[in-house]
Amino acid sequence: MRITLKVNGGTYTREVEGHRTLLRFLREDLGFTGTKEGCGAGECGACTVIMDGKTVNSCMVLALEADGANVETIEGEASAGKLSVIQEAFDRHHAVQCGYCTGGMIMSVRDLLHRNPKPSVEEIKEGIEGNFCRCTGYQQIIEAVLDASGQLGEGPGQVREGRLEHA
Amino acid sequence: MLHEFEYARPATRAELHELLARHGKAAKILAGGTDLLVNIRCGVSKPAIVIDIKKVRDLPVIAWNPKVGLVIGPGATINEVLAHPAVHDHFPLLSECGHDLASYQVRNRATVIGNVVNASPCSDMAPALLCLGAIAIVSSKRGEREVPFSEFFTGVKKTVLLDDEILERIVVPTASAGARGSYHKLKRINGHDLGIVGVALMKKEGVVALGISSAAPTPVLVEGIRETDAVEKAVAAARSATSPISDLRCSKEYREFMIEVFIRRLWAEVK
Repeated sequence: MRITLKVNGGTYTREVEGHRTLLRFLREDLGFTGTKEGCGAGECGACTVIMDGKTVNSCMVLALEADGANVETIEGEASAGKLSVIQEAFDRHHAVQCGYCTGGMIMSVRDLLHRNPKPSVEEIKEGIEGNFCRCTGYQQIIEAVLDASGQLGEGPGQVREGRLEHA
Repeated sequence: MLHEFEYARPATRAELHELLARHGKAAKILAGGTDLLVNIRCGVSKPAIVIDIKKVRDLPVIAWNPKVGLVIGPGATINEVLAHPAVHDHFPLLSECGHDLASYQVRNRATVIGNVVNASPCSDMAPALLCLGAIAIVSSKRGEREVPFSEFFTGVKKTVLLDDEILERIVVPTASAGARGSYHKLKRINGHDLGIVGVALMKKEGVVALGISSAAPTPVLVEGIRETDAVEKAVAAARSATSPISDLRCSKEYREFMIEVFIRRLWAEVK
């Protein structure tokens, strides 16, 4: 079947087979390899993209289901060579180590901040509960989200000295 | 990689029923896909045809009508149900159970009806629907029939649905509106996880009901308890209605122990 969809603002029309997942379609047919496959079963969230304004695990969506949809991936986060506020905060707080989870993680964070611009630590934890990170232990990611949402008054040096305990 | 299958996207209920009648066992219905596509991927399910129902125009979504109740259609996602004002106002137990199901992005796709037709013993929505006296409206080319959820599940991953049928809508009766309730789910981590055991408790007009997951081949409804009874009666009734097993996630004894702990906590918590 032939599908047409938008990815990060660009329009793409392709022939796809019924059993092709949106994840494989994005990676292999369109070359958006920032979206990763981890578990392939909706547990890890490395494949998270935003489809019509909602986060989804792209490993569990068929490409055909995305016909006519507006899809956003990590490749759409930076613009004109400049990192987004969320990406900068991830960089500043060392919320990226191996980087495999980061593409999906940032999609979940973007969606969380869209729904809830000033999330509490508990709300951040819930917002990223579908995204596993095996490197950071999450602390740096939570700090980055607090920073990206303007909830850390001082510079990043302050954060690392235990502000999070009472954040 | 997924094995190959034909993909169909019917536009009307009649087309959907026709496809189900024609393909029967070889067909699988696709709504959220959060169970189906994983099952296809790992080879548990090998449908010849996958029928995507999300573009069917004349199926219900989610609606509250005080004369009928809360109607939940086959495309209604867990997050759509959680966000519905009538669920918030009248059926807090549905919110409690829905909130504990998987992660936010899974809840964006996973449907209430998918969760129950999958008929896993650890279904999170079944305990609430059992307690609230919900009815399954099943349809096919041959017509419609109503099945109370207390009779819907017949075994592990088995329901009363025949090969040409779809669970078209769930009706949570108005009589259950305003019921208080909560759900406790034991899991390994605070984030999303399959339940090791789960207990929902509902109180309404002096009557208490329990819905228990991961403690028998099907989700279990425990009735016949009153608010004026001692909690021990609820614990004893739950023990005789369930038959937990030991598996890689937990022992039988721990499941039995935690069911009792959850009932005692819920009994005190749900005022």
